[in-house]
Amino acid sequence: MKYMLMMNTMRAGQGVPNWPQKDLQAHIAYMKSLRGDLRESGELVAAEGLAFPDQAKLVRAGAGGIPITDGVFPETKEFLAGFWIVDVETPERAYAIAARASAAPGPGGEPLNMPIEARPVMSAPPPEML
Amino acid sequence: MKYILMMSGTKSGVETYKAWSQKDRETHMAVLTGLAKELSASGEFVGTQPLAEPARALLVRGESNGLPITDGVFPEAKEFLLGYWIVDVATPERACAIAGKISSAPGPGGVPTNMAIEVRPFASHGGAA
Repeated sequence: MKYMLMMNTMRAGQGVPNWPQKDLQAHIAYMKSLRGDLRESGELVAAEGLAFPDQAKLVRAGAGGIPITDGVFPETKEFLAGFWIVDVETPERAYAIAARASAAPGPGGEPLNMPIEARPVMSAPPPEML
Repeated sequence: MKYILMMSGTKSGVETYKAWSQKDRETHMAVLTGLAKELSASGEFVGTQPLAEPARALLVRGESNGLPITDGVFPEAKEFLLGYWIVDVATPERACAIAGKISSAPGPGGVPTNMAIEVRPFASHGGAA
């Protein structure tokens, strides 16, 4: 079963975290190691980091299908910072992987324990939605 | 350059969608399926994925006694990712044009939903993931 693990930790206008270089490097090394382990176990489907929220745009179709873009988001909006798609045997395994991502080190090497949203991926829209 | 186009909505918004007529849902899905085919033909398609409904989402935090701490409590206003498209395009304008097509997919009565689609490039800083 496939799960998407979402790191929704960014806020509007946010850029590179203001951490000491050493702490940033430790964070990135931890995430790379997680990615390597998932690749090795065959559970990694995809993992991507997104650009910071200052590069996000909202697009709506306007008259004649012309896209209308703006970059104004509500203060409370959570931005996706990155995600993993994993193919696992059980939901518990997906949660264990999410917990590992959650515990990535932050400033001073302390685990961030950031919330990771875990949700199954649909292989196709369920019949009641078609 | 790779972009992710994200369609998001609240729990109550998803309930509204479920109340659409069968015909309206079929028309909506047919347009999105057609778009995926067009993007495949143009070589811009990387992937698309719908997610399970928000009721099946959980929040996971770091461990206690070696076990992840999970809960499914979200603020009412939270926008959940409903689905996404990843495209590999020549310009940001093209990414926005594709998002505009998704936004204009028909809703009830064939009227375009004009829902907002978030468009964001992939990180080039080699960051989190």
